[in-house]
Amino acid sequence: MTKTLTITPSRCLACRTCELACSFKHAVDGRPGISRIRAFMFGEGRNQVLTCFQCDEAACVKVCPVEALSRNESTGAIEVNTARCIGCGLCSIACPFGHMSHDRASGVAVKCDLCGGEPVCAAFCPTRTLEYG
Amino acid sequence: MTAEKTVNLQINGRFLQAREGMTILEVARREGIPILSLCHHDALEPVGACRLCLVEITHPDWKGWKGLVTACLYPVEEGLCVTTDNEDVRNTRRTVLDLLLARCPQSAVIQELAAEHGVTATSYRKSEVETTCILCGLCVRVCAVKGCSAIGTAGRGIRKAISIPFKQPPPDCIGCASCAHICPTGTIKYRDEGDIRKIWGHSFKMVKCESCGRPIMPEKQLEFEANKSGLHPDYFKVCPACAQQQTVQTIRSSFDMRTVQSGDSAQLAG
Repeated sequence: MTKTLTITPSRCLACRTCELACSFKHAVDGRPGISRIRAFMFGEGRNQVLTCFQCDEAACVKVCPVEALSRNESTGAIEVNTARCIGCGLCSIACPFGHMSHDRASGVAVKCDLCGGEPVCAAFCPTRTLEYG
Repeated sequence: MTAEKTVNLQINGRFLQAREGMTILEVARREGIPILSLCHHDALEPVGACRLCLVEITHPDWKGWKGLVTACLYPVEEGLCVTTDNEDVRNTRRTVLDLLLARCPQSAVIQELAAEHGVTATSYRKSEVETTCILCGLCVRVCAVKGCSAIGTAGRGIRKAISIPFKQPPPDCIGCASCAHICPTGTIKYRDEGDIRKIWGHSFKMVKCESCGRPIMPEKQLEFEANKSGLHPDYFKVCPACAQQQTVQTIRSSFDMRTVQSGDSAQLAG
């Protein structure tokens, strides 16, 4: 069985370490704007961190016209083949959860790929809100 | 069971293995060996239009014969020796850039690329037609892959141009603007004016995000994408930012409700 990225919202401080770790892992400039994970604050210590659910029947995969999105069987994550992506942005519109985005700088789709099996967000999370196992 | 056949080849003196049927460009990119190209995209059929990916090939059995081929089209074969950068290749590449510059002297992309390779001005007669299109055909191929085939090429020789049928707004165009996004020289333009997208002579009405009102995509494209993917049209009616907000709010409220029910609210507030 593949491992899962588990989120325990009650522990989240919305410190955004995950966003930074994600940005630096996936791009040299570490722009948090293209982080694949995002923390939201609701006040009174109620925070929520969200990232791709890696849906079984994913809308992003269904709409991609060039088959640039496919599931990595070893991690269970849906990954973007950036060389195939034509940057049409359809996947980010079709995702009912808003978990995909479009990097204007490189012109391709960006989404959580579980860092190929070692998600840095979980490794850097100081409160174990994000756990991988 | 048929095992995939692998072939051994050399690129710039490096001994490499590749799956039979791969092109030189695919192997080179896999190995991080740079090969210049303007008309190649991994998701589209290679056509060898821009001629910038020319490389020199030879083979031990070819008795010293060598030739220049487009790396994007040439399939690798056993024993092939590829050179991506020597004097012959560089000279040919400069000639190709010189010709591209003669065709589109106004194109900033071509100017920059040519200058990088030492071509600052074209030595040929400049084209009389003012264009920045290099006829790479990426737009035509991406349109076909999307399933529309709304645009194509018209004319031959010096009159060849990317065109729409009978110079009329193409009936198959859905206004997705993939052609404009993929164009390497920025020749194809579209304009979003409020909730109208103007492209190829069409004025498409845009679908607005149900939550924030931001235009998402043309109505015609929504219908097309819903049909093609089999997804309900509602999938395309909320913009990504609003979809994320809705998701996080739904999750948060259900989580809050559960916490209140189980009497953990004091712990939460504290």
